[in-house]
Order: sequence, then structure tokens, then C-alpha cells
Amino acid sequence: MTGKEILMCALRGEATPRPAWLPYVGVHGGKLVDAPADKYLQSSDLIVKGLLRANELYRPDGLPIMFDLQMEAEVLGCQLKWAEKTPPAVVTHPMSLMEGDGKTLADLPEFCVTKGRFPIAFEALDRVKQEIGEDVALYSLLTGPFTLALHLLGNDIFMNMYDNPQSVLDVMDFCADIGCQVAKSYIEHGADVVAVVDPMTSQISSEHFDEFVTPYVNRIFDCIASTKAMSSMFVCGDATRNLEVMAALHCNNIAIDEQIPLDKIRDLVLPANKSFGGNLKLTTVLLMGDEEDAKLNAIECIDSAGDQSFVLAPGCDLPYDVKPENLSAVATMVHDEYQRDVARNTINSKQSDSFDDIVLPDYQNEDAVIIDVVTLDSEGCAPCQYMFKAALDARTRLGDKVKIVLNEHKITTREGVGMMVKLQVPNLPSICIDGQCKFASITPDTALIVEEIVNAARKKQEVES
Amino acid sequence: MMDLKDLTEAIKTGNRTQATSLTQEALDADLTPQSILDAMVVGMDEIGDKFKRNEVFVPEMLIAARAMNESMAILEPSLVKSGYKPLATAVIGTVQGDLHDIGKNLVSMMWKGSALNVIDLGTNVTPDKFVAAIKEHDAKLVGLSALLTTTMPSMKATVEAIKSEELSDVKILIGGAPVTQSFADQIGADGYSPDAASAVDSAHQLLGIR
Repeated sequence: MTGKEILMCALRGEATPRPAWLPYVGVHGGKLVDAPADKYLQSSDLIVKGLLRANELYRPDGLPIMFDLQMEAEVLGCQLKWAEKTPPAVVTHPMSLMEGDGKTLADLPEFCVTKGRFPIAFEALDRVKQEIGEDVALYSLLTGPFTLALHLLGNDIFMNMYDNPQSVLDVMDFCADIGCQVAKSYIEHGADVVAVVDPMTSQISSEHFDEFVTPYVNRIFDCIASTKAMSSMFVCGDATRNLEVMAALHCNNIAIDEQIPLDKIRDLVLPANKSFGGNLKLTTVLLMGDEEDAKLNAIECIDSAGDQSFVLAPGCDLPYDVKPENLSAVATMVHDEYQRDVARNTINSKQSDSFDDIVLPDYQNEDAVIIDVVTLDSEGCAPCQYMFKAALDARTRLGDKVKIVLNEHKITTREGVGMMVKLQVPNLPSICIDGQCKFASITPDTALIVEEIVNAARKKQEVES
Repeated sequence: MMDLKDLTEAIKTGNRTQATSLTQEALDADLTPQSILDAMVVGMDEIGDKFKRNEVFVPEMLIAARAMNESMAILEPSLVKSGYKPLATAVIGTVQGDLHDIGKNLVSMMWKGSALNVIDLGTNVTPDKFVAAIKEHDAKLVGLSALLTTTMPSMKATVEAIKSEELSDVKILIGGAPVTQSFADQIGADGYSPDAASAVDSAHQLLGIR
């Protein structure tokens, strides 16, 4: 099964052999190719390079082509302020009376997908499709109608929802038409999934959502449903109060951010025959945390979501400076069931225990060379079995020439986890010789282990003499 | 005698037409400016509490704040004449690199409604501008807002700039979607508020008002 097939299975609400993985590589693609966000989002060459690099590093099942909720607004005459590490921000709201020119819909430039940066997005989509489209599902994101209406109206939209609701509905109608046009064009260019991203809906009540959002996003989802593409609704932000109304939308998938528990959204969307996605922590984990934090967070998401209808994804657009190694760590959790088991066993224990009572031997002053093999369990897992056997073979080969003590530490026990922490073992299985981690993950040739043991024995003799 | 409860209700429901006419009526009926202000503040407090409890949302808060602002414009001359002084001056802005202002505007309006004199520096405000405004207005409170994860470091830089000036009696309160209490602790801010209504309580607490 290709990654794309796994992701499409999840979107259709089916069980998957492993979690489907969708890193939202937006401006972060720029970091991967050493380009600032403003240059990146205005160049199909850079976007293609960034996404291909992300594909190598993160082994995703799906990738978004661009994550930029300003593209439609730009065509409609909103001015943008560009930045080096974020998508551009809309700085003028042409239809706002409070902050702008108070233009009407008729005054706005005519919308067309040949304008602005849409041709860049289409070209990037065409090229990425050709390169990796067989194996990776390609997402195209469009600005949700409420967020686009907010770009046009500024904060007036909130007041107008009370003062002149019809005027807001007219703008929503206009924005939904644009959404349909954009969705159809992306699908014509080969998008497998079209996501309507409408973060500003997190700011309104469910009654307002029903009145001002539901009919308009549904029109876009109905357009998508009339093609072979799938659809998703993304709401970054705390959408807790609107989960029920979101679950009733005409889309295939609902994606939420870290503020909403995954099991909560799962229980709401599964009965509605929808899939769901989320919600790795963007800031505290992916941006500021380390690989272990990323693994733990991935495991939390995977375990609370279950293995049906679920797409593992960040809570929203990945920040530019997210550490690539953190996303690679998430990819490891996705692709390697064994590593998931290891992480489950180790990370939880490590976080709640300082293992003060587990003391390492004074390796240099011991007579024997001490080999510590840290495993999940050499009886139950093949890589651990080979690693332990390699150490045994090395001992056999050396015979009486070197005094050796060989220990296995299984991380299914507290002692094992404690040794793993104290020996600072990065990956399992590992071989440590006299307290130094010499081989991690990949089983070495026995001769290499022999060489390390002999070196360790020589060091002891040097110390003695 | 006129019942100021109607004014409270008009503010709470964001009915600006009614709120402004009731404010004028109250002044015409020679009610004290302070009592009129108090009635408005109760309205803002009540809507703020509902916001905290997730019973109302941004649109409801904005229309209430608009009703409050328009009514304040009518009340202000009489209030000043009566010798009213705000409890303290606060400076607020969205930090450098960030152009989002909904959250910041809400806090600004809520602070104004809670008897603070608010200097709103707008968006994309540099650390230097914050420091200069604190000095110029003798502010005792600074509110820093950020929506983007990527502009959180600007908050840190702003806190450092304020602290390096030894403006020791200024309290710094931070907020915004990506911000947390632990981030506030990490960068040495005096407080963190998860929403606009809580920002009023936090401000008063930091200033030792309540």
C-alpha cells in the first residue's frame, strides 16, 4: 500500500495499517531550501524543491502544495505585507468602513484563477504531481469563505453580523463562489484533496456558524464532491464550541488544532461518516521541543485517535523554524511500529522517574569489560535479537582473551529504562561498551564489536599501568 | 428617577443607539458621571464574564465594546469636569512582526471600560516604541499581544527591553493565541491572560487595584 493509499483510506473512514501522516509543510518548505518565506511563496521552483525535500525527510503520505490564506484576498485587492518567516499578512480591508475604503463587492477587482499567485500554485502542483503524485496525496488549500470575508471586511464583519446580517451573507455568497472556482481549478490540476481552511470561524458562536458559514462552505464541499477529489475542513484555533456544527458539514474530513482533544472530535465525526486529523503541538513541541517531545506527542495523538479514519497532522501550518529532526522523529513513529512500542515504554517512564537508585558501575575500575545491550526485549523483537546475538558472538570469538560481562537490559522493566537513561542511549537496540554507547539501532558486524571490546580492554590496562 | 440598569443592559447587548441615548438621558437627569460610568462598567463586566465562560464570542464582545466607547464619548467631558481620574495608564500593542489586532483591540476596549487610561500603539510595535510610550505616559501596565508563533520571540525582546530600562514599577501582561503561562514565566512577564475578559482581572490584580 502506498502512503497515498493509506491516507485516502483514512479519509474514506477506513482502518489503516499504520497512521496516515500529513505534515503541513507551508513556509517551512522555505527553511528546507534556505529561502525566506516571501521568496518561497512566490516561486513555483522553490515550492517544488521544498516539497520534494520534505518528502525525503519526513516520508509523508500527503503534502499541501501551499499554506497561504492570503492568495484569494490578494487578487481581490487586499494589500499584503510580506515577511521572511511567516506567510504574508493582509493589511488592508477594502470593504471595511472602519479601516478601509468601504468598497462594495462590485468595486472589487474581478476574481480569476489566472491572477495573483494562483498560476504559481498550479505549476507547483503540476510538477510535484509528476514527481511524487503516485505515492503522496497532494492537498490544495483554499481560504475559507468566512476568513476571506474577514480579509475583505476587516473587523466590520463582526459588527455587521448584528447591524446588517444580509450584507455579510452577500459577501459570504461571493466568497463561496470564489472557493468553488479555486477548488475546481486545483482538482483539474490534479489535487487529490481540497481543504477549506477557515480559522476565523473559531471566533464565532455555533448559531452564527450555522447562519453565516455552513451554507457557504457546504456549497464548496458539494462542488468538490461532484469530482473524484476528497475534501477537508481545517479550523486552526479553539473551535471547541463549533465541533458539532462542523461534524455536520458536507466534507470528508475535519482537521483540528491542539486545543481540541482528538478523542472528542473522533467521537463526533465517526458517527457522521467522516474522518479527522490533527493535532501535533506546533509551538511547545515541534518548534521548541526536542525529538523525544515530538515522539511522545506523536504517540499521544496516535493512541488517543485510534487506527480508523485518522490522519496524523500538526495542529496548523508548520512554523518556518520547526526543527526538521522533530518532524523526522514523528515520521519514525508513523512508519515503525517497533519504534512506537519503544517510545511508549521509554518516554512515559523517563518522564516520571529520575532513576536515582540505579547506579552505573565504575566501568574503568572493573576487571571485566562490561557490555550492556539495551533492548525492547531480545526474545520478542527481531532487531533486538540480532543485536544481542552479535554481542554474544563477539564474546564467544574473544574466548578467554578478554574478561567480559554481558548484560541485557530490557526496557520492558524499570531497571532497563533506568539503564537506558543513565547510559544516554539514543535509540534501541543499542550496545554500550564500558558505559559508552558504541552501536545504536543498526546491528554491527561482529568484528566491529570485537574491535571495540579489545580497545576497551586496552584502555583498562593503560590505566592500570 | 432613571434606572441605570437599562444602560447596563444596553451596553451588555451591544445596543449602541439605546446606550448612547440612555447616557445622554442620565446626564440630563443630573445623575453623577461616576454612577453612569459604573453602570456601563457593570455591563462590560457581565459580558466579559460570559466571554470567559464561552457563552458569547468575539462579535458579541465587539458590539458591547462599541456601545461602551460611543457612550463614553458622550460621558467623558462631564466625567473629566467632575474630577474623575483613571486608575492608571496602560500601554498596549501587538509586538513587532505581528499585524493581528483583534485580540489586542478587545483587551484595549475592555481595559478602557475598566477605568484604565489606555494608550494603544497599534500593531507591529518595536520594543523601543513600547519603552518610549511607557516613559512618555508614565504607564504602570503594558499589554503585549501576538497571534503568530513566529512573533513570540518579539515578546521576549520587548520584555527584555522594558526590564533593561529599570522601569521597575511597570507590570507586563502578555496574551494571544500561541502564548501560555509557561511562556510568560520563561520570558519574565508578570502575567498572562487567556482571553480579553481575564485581561481585566489580571490587570487589576497586577496593579493592586482589587
